[in-house]
Amino acid sequence: MTQEFKTETLGNGLKIIAEVNPANVTSTIGFFVKTGARDEQSEESGISHFLEHMMFKGTATRSALDINMHLGALGAHANAFTSEENTVYYSAVIPEKFSEMQELLSDMLRPSLDPKEFDTEKKVILEEIALYQDRPHFYLIEQASRDYFGSNPLGNSVLGTVDSVSAISREQMLGYFNRRYAPSNITLVATGKVCWDSFFEKAQELCGDWADHSVDREYISHTNPTVSRTFFKPKLVQGHAYLLSSGPSAQDKDRYPMAILSTILGEVAGSSLYWDLVHTGLAESASVDVDERDGSGCMGVYVCCPQDRLDQVIGVARKVVSTPTAFSENDLERAKAKVMSRVVMDGELPMGRLMSLGMEWTYRKTSTPLQAKLERIKMVSKKDIERAVERFPLQDWSEYRLVSG
Amino acid sequence: MTFFNKVLPNGLTILVEEMEHVESVSYEFSVPGGFIADGEERLGQAVLLADVLCKGAGQYDSRQLSNEFDQYGIRHGEGCGLDRFTLAGSAVGANYKKGLELTSSMIRAPQIPEDDIGALKSILLQDLASLRDNPARRAMVELTKRFHPAPFNRTSLGSQEGIEKTDRQQLAILHSRYFRPQGSIVSVAGNVKAQEVFDVVEELFEGWDGEAPSPVGYGLEPREEYYHIDDDSAQLQIVMANRSVPFGAPLYYEGKLVASLLGSSMFGRLFMEVREKRGLCYSVYARHGSRKEYGTITAYVGTTADRAQESLDVMLGEFRRLRGSIEEFELERARTNLKASLIMGEEAPSSRASSNASDWWLLSRVRPLVEIHDAIDRVSLESIESFLEQYPFTPCSILTLGSKRLDVDGDVVAMEVKK
Repeated sequence: MTQEFKTETLGNGLKIIAEVNPANVTSTIGFFVKTGARDEQSEESGISHFLEHMMFKGTATRSALDINMHLGALGAHANAFTSEENTVYYSAVIPEKFSEMQELLSDMLRPSLDPKEFDTEKKVILEEIALYQDRPHFYLIEQASRDYFGSNPLGNSVLGTVDSVSAISREQMLGYFNRRYAPSNITLVATGKVCWDSFFEKAQELCGDWADHSVDREYISHTNPTVSRTFFKPKLVQGHAYLLSSGPSAQDKDRYPMAILSTILGEVAGSSLYWDLVHTGLAESASVDVDERDGSGCMGVYVCCPQDRLDQVIGVARKVVSTPTAFSENDLERAKAKVMSRVVMDGELPMGRLMSLGMEWTYRKTSTPLQAKLERIKMVSKKDIERAVERFPLQDWSEYRLVSG
Repeated sequence: MTFFNKVLPNGLTILVEEMEHVESVSYEFSVPGGFIADGEERLGQAVLLADVLCKGAGQYDSRQLSNEFDQYGIRHGEGCGLDRFTLAGSAVGANYKKGLELTSSMIRAPQIPEDDIGALKSILLQDLASLRDNPARRAMVELTKRFHPAPFNRTSLGSQEGIEKTDRQQLAILHSRYFRPQGSIVSVAGNVKAQEVFDVVEELFEGWDGEAPSPVGYGLEPREEYYHIDDDSAQLQIVMANRSVPFGAPLYYEGKLVASLLGSSMFGRLFMEVREKRGLCYSVYARHGSRKEYGTITAYVGTTADRAQESLDVMLGEFRRLRGSIEEFELERARTNLKASLIMGEEAPSSRASSNASDWWLLSRVRPLVEIHDAIDRVSLESIESFLEQYPFTPCSILTLGSKRLDVDGDVVAMEVKK
């Protein structure tokens, strides 16, 4: 495969990246905006996500219907998501439609925030909040994160609450947009069958006049608490638990060893937790994940099982993670093989590369070619993991439960 | 598309699509069986069999088998659908051969270890019980149960009684009856050479023979009824179903395109009318599903109780309005989207392996992309009207799950209201 990596920065600070691969049959494009729930003031809770919806609801020259019809006519697979610290707008199209898609998506990033559309979309968001209330796993993770991070904005809710979203005004949203959507806070990425010259030229033409200003993010250090809390939901059948402890940030040098460790300890299948909890039938699911954030991070252990077994299952999970380095060299090699295989497979599709490149630039202002990434995984030794565990010992957990009541 | 196929003397069909632009290889085995193979009193048995396949096969016990897959970086999954078992995997480069080898062991010589069956049953029973914690899934399962005649109304959940009753011996019998080469398919796609795949598969499956029992027939009895289930979920779930055209039958692409212009997630009429114009919901869609025997259109909307009646009325209004109202630009948009989805699906080896297997399963051939494009282009407003005449969207079956029962229009739905 002949891949070519290109990068430029516009005069207003907008970073432009492309990984061109003529062998692909599709092209992708995405705007990665470094903003999310953690960048909201308390009275703005849910505004990043609400604004993400409003990007599809009209610009100075297009109505919401125009945008929708245009996306349809392009045959585009277009979507967006908002997290605690990123908002991403992306699309995949056939290569002949790429330029038109670039023009449309760039226009969408300058929303008109039409008042009528604003009111209608607010109702959609309230329905989305209700939808997630019916999903116990999501409900627990959100409640746990809020409690774990306390007053630190890292624990801010992405969706917000019915009250906070109901109270958001169009003016507040405009203020948030002007504050956060400066070009120097955004990365524009394209992958797949793309012509770099035309992509870059068009980016200059479409985004070159976006006015820049400096955008700050607040970094408040977080001390790992060790609390236990139980949340209740009526008539719940299964019990859920989520344990949190400190972990590597997205910039941490130990993020590779910790990612391999989480695979050994808690991948959905074939991991220590799998053998002790799922293979034995004690729990319906059990996993360990690394939540790498900007300047901060945590490790999470999630289990779901019958409520009368929750104590036992949490006990087993705690025991497994309390001896994190009790694995063999063979365990390590297998985990590395799994992770490398996943990286190759995710990376051979343009959409996989788009997400990887966009996130990497947003967090680390760098771009690692696939091969270099594989080498870094291959190099991880047991000693590296032991050293990482000295910094993130997985001993002091905050424990959150969700049960019926 | 560089596609090859071969049928081995024992009846096993091998499909290969060579894809030069990727590094990985995906495979998918389809073996006749599935939920319809379960006895009426042992619902869940086939799912249990699919789950037990990875618990040891050939020379490997459960942990050794898992370690072998992991060591070669092979992602794999074994599952059970309505009428077939599937065993799929993906690997980088030549590692796919190891995947085929391990999977052939699971197909030909699963250990079905007594000791692991209790644990697997426990997981399935947890999945069944936790349906109550997932209102959207529960609504669809409950509608499926009522809309289709048995045994086509089954889902992967099985029944508590069926799961509890199943033992090792029954699983072994089910395996020996259904895991046969006649009617089975292995589909491989990715950076491979067809001849190499043929050689590997032929060697792995030498000496395997027999034919699985024929699948049961299907008689469609469309039901136009309303059901309500009380539940205190935050949203009220509304699901609807009606019959549609079978896979590959005349008017098949008309059915796909109508479902798309009505219910595709962002451009469909339902999304525009229910969500975009009125803000009544977050999630709304209509889908077209089809098999050899029959097709089904299902529609879904989840909304809070005080907006549910309006949501249902708008949905039914859109169904009723369909005939005579579709315009050329809408049809063209639906055509573009269906074609774009096909092109995008072409890129991933796993979706190619799966789609080729499905085509062969349903049609005994793989449709070339150009054939599908031509068929989509041939759909006209006139042929769409013929489809709607034969498969009107109303009356339809409706099920609601939530805190209140809704009013259904007497003209639209036969008013046999059932609890």
